[in-house]
Formats: sequence, C-alpha cells, structure tokens
Amino acid sequence: MEERQYDLIFICRPDTPEADIDKVIATLEHTATEKGSRIEKTEKWGRKRMAYRVSRLREGFYVYMDVRSANGEVVKELERRLKVADAVIKYLTIRVDEELKRQEKLKRHRERRAARRPRKTVPTAAPAPASEQSAAAI
Amino acid sequence: MAEEHAPQQHHSGPPSSSGHSGGPGGPGGPRPQGGRPGPGGPAKRGKRNFVRKKKVCRFCVDKVDYIDYKKAEVLTSFIQERGKILPRRMTGTCARHQRWLTVAIKRAQNIALLPFAAEL
Repeated sequence: MEERQYDLIFICRPDTPEADIDKVIATLEHTATEKGSRIEKTEKWGRKRMAYRVSRLREGFYVYMDVRSANGEVVKELERRLKVADAVIKYLTIRVDEELKRQEKLKRHRERRAARRPRKTVPTAAPAPASEQSAAAI
Repeated sequence: MAEEHAPQQHHSGPPSSSGHSGGPGGPGGPRPQGGRPGPGGPAKRGKRNFVRKKKVCRFCVDKVDYIDYKKAEVLTSFIQERGKILPRRMTGTCARHQRWLTVAIKRAQNIALLPFAAEL
C-alpha cells in the first residue's frame, strides 16, 4: 500500500515535566518503528493557550508529529497509546497526504501555465515602450 | 408625478449628515452606513451612492494551494468574535478557498487552536 502521511498533534498537561513528554514521544516513535512506519519529524510547539478549556485546563503543551505510514493500524495503535498516557489531554490525527498531493498538482499546474505563456510580463512590458514612443513623439 | 416624488422622499443625492435634520431620520432615508461595505453588487446610481469595494479572495491573491489548519493566526481573521465562521459574502473568499477554509477551521477547532464558541 502506498505510504500515507498523517499529522499527529497531542496536547499534554502544562505542568508535566519535559522528561515525561519526551518519554511519551519516545514511546510513540518506538511504536511507529515497530509497526514498520516512521515519524518524519517531531516538533514541540511548547506551552500554548488553548482556545477552550480541556479537562479544566486553559493551557497545554503542544507536540506535533509528522507520521508516515503504509497501514492504518499504526494510527490506531498510536492513538491508543495517547489515550493511555496520563499526561496527554487531547490528541488529533489527520491524514494530509491527499491534500498535499492536490497542492503539488495545483502548484505544478500553475508553474506550467506560467511557463507556457508569460502573460503577466507582456502587459507590463507593452505599455512601457508605447509611453516611450509617445514621449519621443512629443 | 409619483415618480418625481419618490426620489425626494428618499433624499436623492449624496447621503450627507444634513439629511438627518428632521428627527431620527425619515423612513426610507439614507441609512447611516456602517464601516464595512455590505454584500451586493456595485452601488446604484442615485439613492445610495457609496462606493462598495470589490472584494477579492485573499487566498487567490496569495495563490494559496493549501490552507494549513495549523496556522491559526491566518484563520482567526475568518471567524467572528463568537467563533462562527464568516460567510463568503463577508470576506469575499472564493468558493473553492472557502471550502478549504472551513475544513481548516474545523480541524483547528478540534485541537483547541480555535474556539468552537467564545467563552462567556
């Protein structure tokens, strides 16, 4: 199966020590690699104010992960781990590869169009010589 | 005759503050215009001649191909104070981008980057 890309975001309690958060990240990485997928990158967004209260907390420690996986079972397992982890108060996994693919397609399309007919440059270039000519005539 | 009277009742001409000299504004008189231009096409000649700015899709201008739900700062300008998603007629976003935008906003709401509804 084709490899899929997921965004995995989870929020920890703001009072969790950094070491515990690292531990959660480590477990997730371990789980992912065990199941034959990988975590492309991990970003700690740090303490952020949440838009609404989650388990009576106003702030949370956000962690973002880019997961590449070929089977959905991995996501299930990762989510199970997150559910079990005490420090984690909220998590969200979103499949993004299809949208990124669409983005690539649109980008390529746009570039090809720009290459085919450089319309943008023509109108700006055309009036300039005309004005020069008229200026020369005067 | 009636046609001639009608424009007078409506204070035809430029809507100025002097039009409100008698009482709390006559019925059908020029309404005090709010700050933001309302929905609709170009201004009609005569009665309400204020210029509506043509709204363009901000994402089209920037040539956005993917609206990232993680960039909450961008999305906040497309929701109301209370947290509602602003309609297209308010923001001028094109149909395609509005479609992507709503998805992005809803995702951001799910992970508490944006509110579902403002508290208090």
